[in-house]
Amino acid sequence: MLHESLWQQNADITQRCLEHAFVRGLADGTLDRDVFGQYVAQDAFFLHAFLKAYALAAAKCDDFQRARIFHELMTGVLDELKLHASYSAKLDIDLNHVKPYVATSAYTDFLLRVAWHGSLAEIMAAMVPCMRLYAHIGNELTSSLRPEQPYEDWIKTYSGDEFRQLCARLESLLDEVASDCPAVRDAYRYAMQCELNFFSAPLENHE
Amino acid sequence: MSLREFEESPLVVGAGGLWREATEAEFLSAIHDGNLPREAFQRWLVQDYSFAKGLATFQAIAVAKTPRSAQKVLIGGLSALDAELEWFEQNAQRQALDLNAALHPTCRRYVDWLIASAYTQPFEVLLAILYGVEASYLCAWSALEASGTYAEFINRWSNGQFVAYVRGLLDVCNRHTHELQQEQFNEVLRHERDFWRMTWEG
Repeated sequence: MLHESLWQQNADITQRCLEHAFVRGLADGTLDRDVFGQYVAQDAFFLHAFLKAYALAAAKCDDFQRARIFHELMTGVLDELKLHASYSAKLDIDLNHVKPYVATSAYTDFLLRVAWHGSLAEIMAAMVPCMRLYAHIGNELTSSLRPEQPYEDWIKTYSGDEFRQLCARLESLLDEVASDCPAVRDAYRYAMQCELNFFSAPLENHE
Repeated sequence: MSLREFEESPLVVGAGGLWREATEAEFLSAIHDGNLPREAFQRWLVQDYSFAKGLATFQAIAVAKTPRSAQKVLIGGLSALDAELEWFEQNAQRQALDLNAALHPTCRRYVDWLIASAYTQPFEVLLAILYGVEASYLCAWSALEASGTYAEFINRWSNGQFVAYVRGLLDVCNRHTHELQQEQFNEVLRHERDFWRMTWEG
């Protein structure tokens, strides 16, 4: 399966994400609250672009059933944004006026360039890493989850069945529409790299 | 040659110190001083070619969104861009450089931003973006005297024909203003600054 092969080809970046200070901080609950708040704000900004990319992918579908799946995936993003909104009050962050970090803009500009200009296959390849990586991190972190951990909601969201099923649907679409070619491999790997940079940015930008 | 008409244009004045950051670079100073490392020059050539390909995509979309009255300068520019791509290809061939080499992340960010903007920004803003790209390049290269090893390169972006093109872009910008022009013009300058740094630092 293409989705599995792409995931395996990028195992080096997955490992770096799992070992990343930001993810380790989520895992043991020691991540600075302000850093997490900044991450949530940047992620909300990113998710708006992600939502548009799904919409553009749906517009490029001739197959009605596939377009229906994109509709479900968009609902998934809107649910994810509800989680972010719940954090905004708790962490005192304004999700409506987010100034994107360079790493965030790099990711959203890439995603939107591909969504507007690229093929459906490239769009899928650019979007799967976010879903698969988060499902994987959620799954890894849930095994050592302590009660009363401050980031329990985050970990449970991404380790949950609902998120895993959405991820599987997107990966099935990738397998249906894409072939193993340089453009697809490149989009997938660049998105993985963007994910890694996304974890670094809140730590680097924290004063 | 006086570049005051560009340096005093509202978008350049509005950009403040960013303009200088985008038009002065260690890479260019090294050309002036005659000590540019070959590696830096080759990196610039390969990445600038990739950038020009991205710019052609941006410009083609901009042409399609722009009203007829402002299209001429963009279409003429596209034709010149085609000639420029060929010139890059010949240069790369002479120096045995691989133009399909991986995009540097800095170049990639610039091109992704340009193409995403082409689809999402109104045509007036696209005019300001293009003016920013070309005016900053004109002013950056024009600070050098077209002589020595890199005379051909300096001349390409400081000759009278290029000045006339940039003047044409300034003219359509002045005729089609938009409240978002300055913000996106400034973004061009940030990308230009980062691009020059990349050519020098790798």
